[in-house]
Amino acid sequence: MASPVKPPDNPDNPDNRSDRLRTVARYSGIGMQMAATIGLSTWAGYSLDKHYQTNTPWFTLGLMLLGLFAALYNVIRAVSKGE
Amino acid sequence: MKRLLFALFCLLSLTARASEPVATTADATESENFNPGEMILHHIGDSHEWHWFTLGETHVTTYLPVIAYRAGSGLSVFSSHELAEGKVHEGLKLEHEHLVSTDGAKVYDFSITKNVATLMIASALLLIVFISVARGYAKRGTAAPRGMQSFFEPLIIFIRDEVAKKSIGPKYERYMPYLLTVFFFIWFSNLLGLLPGGANLTGNIAVTLTLAAITLLITLFSSNKNYWAHIFATPGVPKPLLFIMIPVELIGVVVKPFSLMVRLFANITAGHIVTLSFISLIFIFRNIGIAPISIAFGLFIFFLELLVAILQAYIFTLLTAMYIGGAVEDHHDADYQIGGGDGAAPAQAH
Repeated sequence: MASPVKPPDNPDNPDNRSDRLRTVARYSGIGMQMAATIGLSTWAGYSLDKHYQTNTPWFTLGLMLLGLFAALYNVIRAVSKGE
Repeated sequence: MKRLLFALFCLLSLTARASEPVATTADATESENFNPGEMILHHIGDSHEWHWFTLGETHVTTYLPVIAYRAGSGLSVFSSHELAEGKVHEGLKLEHEHLVSTDGAKVYDFSITKNVATLMIASALLLIVFISVARGYAKRGTAAPRGMQSFFEPLIIFIRDEVAKKSIGPKYERYMPYLLTVFFFIWFSNLLGLLPGGANLTGNIAVTLTLAAITLLITLFSSNKNYWAHIFATPGVPKPLLFIMIPVELIGVVVKPFSLMVRLFANITAGHIVTLSFISLIFIFRNIGIAPISIAFGLFIFFLELLVAILQAYIFTLLTAMYIGGAVEDHHDADYQIGGGDGAAPAQAH
């Protein structure tokens, strides 16, 4: 506490602390986006099926799979981007 | 936290099951029956009058103006007192807090509801506070800040240095007004919602939808060529795959603000529901022994909410800044990592 020069990995260093908060916010955002992608595309497929009154829910299936793929792709891209 | 939430979930589902059969039998017999679900939903919802508290039989309520437009009968403006307790006024009545016309015509409701009033109060508060802060800078220049100015200066500097500069880069200055406004607006509204009698403004999905839509528009209008090239011709992706990549990228554009909208709405609403549930326990068990536990937990969640109020404002601002940063940045590190080849070396340097 008394030393004026803080080592770079010291969590008390305000720079590191805000970077950690930043990382937490960023990754929580990625997780939230993943859930929202799947949810939103499934909902879109479900309402399209309802609107066209399809016998087999092709829209739900297709859009849900697309949403799943999009979510995975976006997560992989976001985490491999780094800062 | 997880264990706490699980315990809470058990408690909540328990009360829901317990109150269900009671409601059917008690409907006709007594009106005294306490329904926690109804009370909580009433508290987190919007309403046409501002109910403060009830002392015995006296309700202390502020009646807000009702402004409604119908294609046939035009504009009607009157106090919501005329609609209290299911009364009909000018052919309008309230059905579960929804303004409906008795003749079935479509009603466009522009009323100053509880949430709209809180929105106005929050905006007025922001104006008063920040005009006074700005006056401080006009008067003292770069000299040491005083009073309210010295409280807000570190926050403003924090948003500038830690959020805007790091996420957006050299073009950060253009976006500072929006980032600061959205940060302080969400923070102030969250805190106003925690006051006794306050409305749940940022826990209203229409409010968070508007904030997220503004973020989306700013991102789209400040986007550069790189941003669109990334969507319609993702680097490193073979041409035949583009027909699947374009929808995937477009979903990503919409989902980012959508997740902002849901996060703020869900966090604030959940906080209110949890606090109210703990308080409701007293009335569910009708036992004085439960009160200290219930109040201690309620207070704990309330203080947690004070933290969540600023944390959610920060997260919304930070993610907005990151989305804008993604739209204005000149080169993408990700391109190199996906494409590999000659670009891989500069990516290592980061």
